[in-house]
Amino acid sequence: MAKVLYIDFERCIGCRACMIGCEECSGHDRLSRMFVDELYPGETVATSPTPCMHCVTPACAESCPVQAISVLDGVVLSASHEKCIGCKNCTYACPFGIPRVDETRNLMYKCDLCYDRTSKGRPPMCVSVCPTDTILFLDEEEARHKRNKPVQYVWDFGGTTIETRTVIGIPDKQTHQFGYH
Amino acid sequence: MQQHSQNDDFSQRPYEPITREGESLVATHCAFCGMQCGMNIRVDNDTMAVLGVEPRYDFPMNGGRLCPKGVSAYRQAEHTERLLKPLIRKNGVLTESSWDEAYDLIVSKIKELQSKHGKDTIGLYSGSSMTNEKCYIMGKFARIGLGTKHIDYNGRYCMSAAATGFNQTVGIDRGSTGPWSDIKFADVLLIAGSNTAECHPLSMPYVWGARDRGAKLIVADPRQTKTALVADIHLDLRPGTDIALTNGILHVLINEGLIDRAFIDEHTAGFEALEEMTRKYDPATASGITGVASEKIVEAARLFGRAKNGFVLFARGIEQHSTGSDTVSNYVNLCLTTGKVGRKGAGFATFTGQGNGQGGREHGQKADQLPGYRKIYDPAARAHIASVWGVDESEIPGPGISAYEILQSLGEEIKMMILVCSNPMVSAPSVGDVGEYLKKLDFFVCIDMFLSESAELADVVLPSTVWVEDNGTTTNVEGRVIHIKGIDRTPGESKRDWKIVCEIAERLGRGQYFQFDSPEEIFNELRTASKGGIADYSGITYDKIDRMNGVFWPCPSEEHEGTPRLFEDLKFNFPDGRARLLTFEHTGPNEKVDAEYPIILTTGRVVFHYLSGNQTRRIEALRKLCPDPYLELHPNLAARHGIGNGEMVKVSSRRGSIFVPAKVTKAIREDSLFVPYHWGKQLAINHLTNPALDPKSKIPEFKVCAVKIEKAKKGELPNGQSAVH
Repeated sequence: MAKVLYIDFERCIGCRACMIGCEECSGHDRLSRMFVDELYPGETVATSPTPCMHCVTPACAESCPVQAISVLDGVVLSASHEKCIGCKNCTYACPFGIPRVDETRNLMYKCDLCYDRTSKGRPPMCVSVCPTDTILFLDEEEARHKRNKPVQYVWDFGGTTIETRTVIGIPDKQTHQFGYH
Repeated sequence: MQQHSQNDDFSQRPYEPITREGESLVATHCAFCGMQCGMNIRVDNDTMAVLGVEPRYDFPMNGGRLCPKGVSAYRQAEHTERLLKPLIRKNGVLTESSWDEAYDLIVSKIKELQSKHGKDTIGLYSGSSMTNEKCYIMGKFARIGLGTKHIDYNGRYCMSAAATGFNQTVGIDRGSTGPWSDIKFADVLLIAGSNTAECHPLSMPYVWGARDRGAKLIVADPRQTKTALVADIHLDLRPGTDIALTNGILHVLINEGLIDRAFIDEHTAGFEALEEMTRKYDPATASGITGVASEKIVEAARLFGRAKNGFVLFARGIEQHSTGSDTVSNYVNLCLTTGKVGRKGAGFATFTGQGNGQGGREHGQKADQLPGYRKIYDPAARAHIASVWGVDESEIPGPGISAYEILQSLGEEIKMMILVCSNPMVSAPSVGDVGEYLKKLDFFVCIDMFLSESAELADVVLPSTVWVEDNGTTTNVEGRVIHIKGIDRTPGESKRDWKIVCEIAERLGRGQYFQFDSPEEIFNELRTASKGGIADYSGITYDKIDRMNGVFWPCPSEEHEGTPRLFEDLKFNFPDGRARLLTFEHTGPNEKVDAEYPIILTTGRVVFHYLSGNQTRRIEALRKLCPDPYLELHPNLAARHGIGNGEMVKVSSRRGSIFVPAKVTKAIREDSLFVPYHWGKQLAINHLTNPALDPKSKIPEFKVCAVKIEKAKKGELPNGQSAVH
């Protein structure tokens, strides 16, 4: 069964090991494709990692005028070196703000779930290094249904519904607040 | 790899690392912090260049996981600022020179100053980020190479209070009573004065492991740290009031019958006095002193007392105080009064800050210590070590003085200092004074791989290697001895620290005691020296470490498989086998707030930097994520001073002041401020900190001093107020 990223953001310590680790994957040209955001700066110290959400219907690929972004086994890949024209349509189209463009090479890059590692049966680099197991690499079924907390993988962007393969685990606000009011 | 059963409950994962074409992997450990996480360093087969890091999934402690320091640690190896040749100050300028010239100068100064002022005129100030082999050789070099009693190390600022606290309460100082996997089996965790999530991130899978089994988490910290954020109870105490807090918890435990009377009667001494003294620390009284709501104190005591198993974990937040060692003992009292020790899920531990904070305090680089955790004033210990070293017992000097006291005596009893693997111009308290002390030296030698803020002041700087360019062992936070595997290279003319001191000894005519060709030869001597001591390594070999993924001391014979968990027989390390329930009144910090300096300053680490930042501030990825220190202050306090988020603030104590940008946040108490300490010069918060020492352990009171703040005025900022080291 295909594996997906599961983010238990309650566990994130904001250390950015995932961002630096991302640079260490051999297919990544030392360019990090991970993001970590402060959730409520000044109110709490809570943070959360944002990898590519690997949409079931990816807006980045749909918006690409030269069809440079392909989907392989559910993984939305970086733009093809040959095809990409660096137009940034994908960066504007993505509701999560994931694709970036390397200005020196005029080339889009984004999370490809560490194809160089996952194709050899190893977890992606962010999952490998994450010191707190905030980021896990799980069977899709397990990520969506079998974790011990509420999850979200369907998102509403002003009436547009987007389903993602990356699954977010939500803190249980009934039992403890964990600063995530 | 088949794991030894000691690793059964750890974090390893079932993946092999990836080896890329033309490369080899060196299975070693991180340079930073006492977790000593396993990692593979990628090395080019032809050039031996360090290329990157690859997860070491099979190492039990971290299973390949790494914090940002760990992921980027290798980036110091090929760094352009590495020192590659010896530097000698000529006409006021540090100038590249030859090793012969540097050695000749050093040896002539040693001889000249010792003939004029006596052997003890040389001070050796060493560090705990070195391997056991190097720490051992520093102690030996000081005592019988230089013949001076003056050696101490930067662990004095770090682990000394925990060491003294453990020794006075249970008679042995191993940082954790059990293997780290024991944490997973606790029903309640009390973490005090430790921002575990940022300072020891790889402990968090163990904390979450316990939580996933239903454990409750109590965190005592003045700040809403990443660790406190996920706690069930956050005891947000006023800095410097831990003894009152723990007395309050003990009061509730005793008052509500949540203690283990049978354990107390059979395995401890001193309960009656503890019961009597804590009587007056009722929750309301404890709350008045600590600022923590009394209901939270009661609730924490009940959670802890009612749990069958529990672990108390602490770090510098409770230790770097003028009452640091007693505070440690009082936290341990929580385990001893409730019988939580000596089994899976029950015990106590201190988070070791430095890479080898544990091993570095065991083998003779402390002022009063000989290898194997022996006391230098114990005649039997002296006789044993004299026989191992092949010297007359009278040749081993007596006890010296502690690290900060060494700095204070520069220019007086100590005219020449050799500084190894440490950067007191960032890490010492009241660092402005330290700069003045260093100026009084006749001669100052520094061994380092980068030109640290301290090295900049030296007369001679000798280039050493980075951690992954040498073999050796370290001892991690658990007391597990592990094997640092290195690459066989010494860039430029750099040399390994142990080689440097052996070569100086040779030139001093003491070479017969320093004939070592490899770290393993040093380790084998260390094993013999430690035999029969408290920290007995005699049964540990490099092969055994590799085979078992680390060996826990004590390990008294080659057949012995080490001791992952202490006190399983509930016998503590005193002649009567009883732990000491010692009794402590709250006295508060050495420097209390007053009208002139009305706010409490506390300091600490961030996840992106290690100690004095001499390594991590040079790693671009880390520097970008945290380029500058900052001042955490509460919105209400900020409003009273008209300070907005990001505005520059002048923060001053009786000892000095610095300018830092404000980070306005509800994550800190209204009466306190926090500034991280990893920077030097005009960015060093240690200009302000209080050098008052704990009389027992000599740890300085970094964690509390009295300060005032003002919004910086236009034109007041010093030039060069920038992050870059």
